[in-house]
Amino acid sequence: MDLIVCIKRVPQTAEAEVRVDSSGKDIVKDRLTFDMNEADTYALEAAILLKEKFGGTITAISLGVADAEDTLRIALAKGADSAVRIKAEDFGELDGFKTAALLKEVIKDIKFDAIFTGCMATDDSYYQVGPVLAEMLGVPHATLVSKVEVSEEKVRVNRELEGGLIEHLEMSLPAVFAVQTGINEPRYASLIAIRRAAGKEIKILGKEDIPVETKTNSTLEELFVPPVGKRAEILTGSADEVAARTAGIIKEKGLI
Amino acid sequence: MANKKNIVVEINPEIREALVEMGAVDAYKCYQCGKCASVCPWFQVGTYEFLVFRFPLETVLGLIASSEDKDDLAREVDKIYRCVGCEACVDQCPLGVKMPHILRSARRILVDFGSYPENLKSVVQKIRNVGNPLGEPREKRADWAEEIGVKDYSEEMEILYFACCLPSYDTRLKNVAKATAFLLKRAGVSFGILGAKESCCGEAIRRVGAESVYQETARSNIGNFKESGVKKVLVSSPHCYVTFQKEYPDLGGEFDAVHSTEFFWKCIEQGKILPKKSFGKKVVYHDPCTLGRQSGIYDAPRNILGSIPDLELLEVEDFSRNLSLCCGAGSGALWIDWPKGERMADIRIKQLVDTGADVIAVACPYCLQMFEETVKAMNLNVQVMDVSEILFESLGEDEVR
Amino acid sequence: MANILAVVEHRQGAVRDITYELLTFGRKLAEKTDGKLTGVLLGHNVDNLTDNLKKHVHRLIVADHDVFKDFNGDVYQQALADIIKKENPFLTLIGNTAFGIDFCPSLATHLGVPFTTDCIDAEIADSGIRVTRQLYDGKMDTHMKLSESPSYMLTMRSGTCPAEEGNLSAEMQKIESPITTQPSYKKFIEYIEAAVGDVDITKADVLVGVGRGIKEQANLSMVEDFAKAIGGVVACSRPIVDANWLPKDRQVGSSGKTVKPKLYIAVGISGAFQHIAGMKNADTIIAINKDSNAPIFNEADYGIVDDLFKVLPALKSKIMELKK
Repeated sequence: MDLIVCIKRVPQTAEAEVRVDSSGKDIVKDRLTFDMNEADTYALEAAILLKEKFGGTITAISLGVADAEDTLRIALAKGADSAVRIKAEDFGELDGFKTAALLKEVIKDIKFDAIFTGCMATDDSYYQVGPVLAEMLGVPHATLVSKVEVSEEKVRVNRELEGGLIEHLEMSLPAVFAVQTGINEPRYASLIAIRRAAGKEIKILGKEDIPVETKTNSTLEELFVPPVGKRAEILTGSADEVAARTAGIIKEKGLI
Repeated sequence: MANKKNIVVEINPEIREALVEMGAVDAYKCYQCGKCASVCPWFQVGTYEFLVFRFPLETVLGLIASSEDKDDLAREVDKIYRCVGCEACVDQCPLGVKMPHILRSARRILVDFGSYPENLKSVVQKIRNVGNPLGEPREKRADWAEEIGVKDYSEEMEILYFACCLPSYDTRLKNVAKATAFLLKRAGVSFGILGAKESCCGEAIRRVGAESVYQETARSNIGNFKESGVKKVLVSSPHCYVTFQKEYPDLGGEFDAVHSTEFFWKCIEQGKILPKKSFGKKVVYHDPCTLGRQSGIYDAPRNILGSIPDLELLEVEDFSRNLSLCCGAGSGALWIDWPKGERMADIRIKQLVDTGADVIAVACPYCLQMFEETVKAMNLNVQVMDVSEILFESLGEDEVR
Repeated sequence: MANILAVVEHRQGAVRDITYELLTFGRKLAEKTDGKLTGVLLGHNVDNLTDNLKKHVHRLIVADHDVFKDFNGDVYQQALADIIKKENPFLTLIGNTAFGIDFCPSLATHLGVPFTTDCIDAEIADSGIRVTRQLYDGKMDTHMKLSESPSYMLTMRSGTCPAEEGNLSAEMQKIESPITTQPSYKKFIEYIEAAVGDVDITKADVLVGVGRGIKEQANLSMVEDFAKAIGGVVACSRPIVDANWLPKDRQVGSSGKTVKPKLYIAVGISGAFQHIAGMKNADTIIAINKDSNAPIFNEADYGIVDDLFKVLPALKSKIMELKK
């Protein structure tokens, strides 16, 4: 099977302090670490598992600035065969829609059986790239995918719904799968694979290679720290004092 | 010889070169006598196979973290992160092979490719983001000091006190920082802290393999030390101590580092601190690997404890001084959760408690943290204290202010 | 005048909560400009759902066909493309749910309509649409303006606009289904209930939810002890399930269970919106987290900003005392 994985390099913000920069439109990034978007690590693993089973190739594609090549190299070390970076610096403001449009321009010339993306990126939280890309390529898609099982011509796909329910679909290939987190165990890269990946060429495509006019759906006007909502009554004091008050509250509610 | 199997090993000179380039040059020295394995803490733990003497050969053959199988590779990476950097092996090696450096070279490559445990990634991220592994805000770094009126460092002061991360933020360990500050005041030493400008010394993440974040963090400290005119740095953690002593000079940071136990023993000798209150307990001293084996400081903490009235100092027979067993927190292991039954701290606590001690004395925040947790988990009736805390308690009532 | 279309989300015979949130939000937005809100219900044998829906919209379009018996994003996309072309609404609203995100982005792309997803607010501004979204793990909000167009499409995050009682009585318009068969390339087979283990967190009165903050699997036993002392059950946020520390059926949140216990104690949970979505309706919420900025404190009734490893044992012993 020939597979494509779309990967994004994002700042790791889940446990970090995040501040708005002087432009008011971006965050201060110099104290953050960057890594492959969490859902994309599962998308990549899903593709590698299929390649292990059926053979074929994996092409990793990332729309990003030069640093994204580090992330693509990780994908190469884990099991991708080739990698493409689309120069984000050439294309101005991006959103999920425009990202998908640029990916489509590259992918339309590649033969593929399936495309894997993360279901969303933690930086811009769009949930868009997978389904938009599928629509532009004219192939079916599924989002929030928790399982892709290929047999003969049929593909069994599970989607994760709210409330712990699974939607079981049957799809045909080629298709796009936007993968949910936690669906497999992303692997490490071995030192041998890392060495091999270090020597591989990453194809870089810029404005001159993708001479299409693509526009975003939206323009970011400003970034700001979310206003605080209804705040909890904060109980203060030593652990013992706080515990005593909390126990009192729980008792008042008739729960002890 | 029909059923004799051929052992075919694919040798990877490329991996060897990469590892050597990253610092594994000692691998060539090893002749696999196996002495290291007998002192490795994993040998005492006994439930996890960690054949430390094989790493140099595997390095030379280029077999480290080389499996193409996902699960095997996960086990190999786990193994590489099992080394706690205690250097018991280095201490015993007839050729002085630095085994932790060999493994660290592999870690550096793995870290560059994001192929290392998630818990450790999070630690590296937080140190880069806010300068401490706990992800606590910088502004809170000096909260412990504000509570007791410790000043910011200025050039005319004799000493910069560098509490580092756990004693700055952790509720239990703040007490170590506070005791240290009180003792410095008592000894009449002029000292200050860098507060929010202080970042983690970087020791742990360097040993995890995150070399670039280590260098960035270390350079930030070195820059701040220089800017503030720091000459002498007093530390509570032996991990800061070795980093300042042996590793910051490579980045242009030459400062005189002193561990609190050395400093306070000198103060006692000079009569600046007078332990006079009876302690009345049996105390066993645990040699932290980084203070003992790695820095050669065995006597200062014992001398301090020995000078305290009515303190019976005990030793762990056979496993004391350079043969002390690691608490299991070094080289990033503080943030890795090994399965029950595979924890060094459990074994070490047993050795310490078997001496009949009421108090386990340590001189390292990692050991303190590990032992506190283990004592709690095992429901043991024994106290864990830093030497500075014991010394502080032994000051006369009139001296505690 | 902005006419708004909202897509009704329902599953296994029941309208989902997000629908009433969308309808409340959509009606307010429409009425600000003297526009009308139209609901679109695609389903099969759904007459029993329409009475309540009619109270929330000015007009309800219903297409009843067995192709809509279960959810297939592709079927929805084809049917809605047809309806939207005919209705030509200024704005189409869809829930940012497993349902909505499976068809909104591709549908809008197909129609060439500017759209965006996961909005927490939206307003009509300068004859266009301005939305509020959250970025960077919910740590930043942003205002974004959609490109100028006669028509827009948005998905709205659940829980951002509380549903209100409806007082309208919409006319109902039954239409022929624009689509009658599932496409061969994407077929719905069945819904699968996630295996229910030994405990059902949706039935417990007291839940102790644990998150990343417990740091290690080994610490779970302390939380379990605590839950036992208070007569509750341990639930968790997604990272705990991802790490395989607790089974999936203990997960609270948009991709796990929605719970409504009398008491929810959030331990070491920062409060990602996905988790909040699953527990915000608990009667009383107590949060323990050492990060005073954790979003969970915006949802909790009582907050304790301290180390959970200190607070939990202390709270356990106080509760044991009170029990005596």
